[in-house]
Amino acid sequence: MQQVINWFFRTNTDSARDTAKDRMRNMLTHDRLELPAGRLESLEEELIAVVSRYFDLDKDTTKFDIEQYERRASLVANFRLLRSKC
Amino acid sequence: MSGRVIVITSGKGGVGKTTASANIGVALANTGASVALVDMDIGLRNLDILMGLENRVVYNLVDVVEERCKLRQALVKDKRLPNLSLLPAAQTRDKTAVNSDQMKVLCGELKAIFDFVIVDSPAGIESGFQNAVAGAEEAIVITTPEMSAVRDADRIIGLLEARKDEISQYRLVINRIRPNMVKNSDMMSVEDVLEILSVKLLGVVPEDEEIIISTNRGEPVAGTDNTRSGLAFRNIARRIRGEDVELMDLDALNGTWMTRLVKFFNPSVRV
Repeated sequence: MQQVINWFFRTNTDSARDTAKDRMRNMLTHDRLELPAGRLESLEEELIAVVSRYFDLDKDTTKFDIEQYERRASLVANFRLLRSKC
Repeated sequence: MSGRVIVITSGKGGVGKTTASANIGVALANTGASVALVDMDIGLRNLDILMGLENRVVYNLVDVVEERCKLRQALVKDKRLPNLSLLPAAQTRDKTAVNSDQMKVLCGELKAIFDFVIVDSPAGIESGFQNAVAGAEEAIVITTPEMSAVRDADRIIGLLEARKDEISQYRLVINRIRPNMVKNSDMMSVEDVLEILSVKLLGVVPEDEEIIISTNRGEPVAGTDNTRSGLAFRNIARRIRGEDVELMDLDALNGTWMTRLVKFFNPSVRV
């Protein structure tokens, strides 16, 4: 019953639970790597600049993130390549 | 005989470390094991209050370390469980009163006498924590499902990982879960916290007003029947002893719509 009411009055905003989870993940990624804010963004910019010298990129679909698995972090970058520059 | 030395720690203060220590100690003693509860929160002694033993404290841990008394003299026997003893912290000293080497010696002596030595660590990650962990082989990390507590738990887990040679295993207890708030997506669930911390779960303790009542009485809930938090702590003790105990159904704690209706009109009814 409660769930039905919740569903009925559901707004478009994320739940507090989801927001907490997202903020938590992001925060712990930075904590564990001792990564200052903004550092990842500047790495992304630089990498895009380098790859762009070789390829045309679809910048809208670029994925760039640090993923955690079993408390180990990996950098996952995904650049959609359109064509090589020659 | 050599017992197991388990340190209870959290990073953040106020998440229920001391309450968990008292209850895990009582629950383990109820399974028949001999248990020593060690209060390492030197200068901020509290475990004696939760156990209802504050009037029986004569000597303390620092007296033992500084050889003003024998270990046996400082141990305070529990009121009801003869196989449970408390080694109180000193109230008038500070965290520097005992160092890591002294703690190792003390834990060595205790585990020669008891099956379980439960060490209640102070909050923080400084020397007080480092000393509390010094003699332990296992750790229990306590957190609540709040962001600040989870962040601090993560920091503690990092520090325990760095001591892998000494700490053979550490597991998480999630305290003060509010099942109906999780259900309404207003707070993180057990699964969320586990996923974020990637750590093994030892148990889940639901939020329970009975904890406040039992603290005021000086009788940990784990020693009394009919409380959900008491049951949760007894389950934790059984898991520590190697039993495979299922997690309790948190949704069932919300009750049916009928029990909720009764509670709405008469909040004092315990259903």
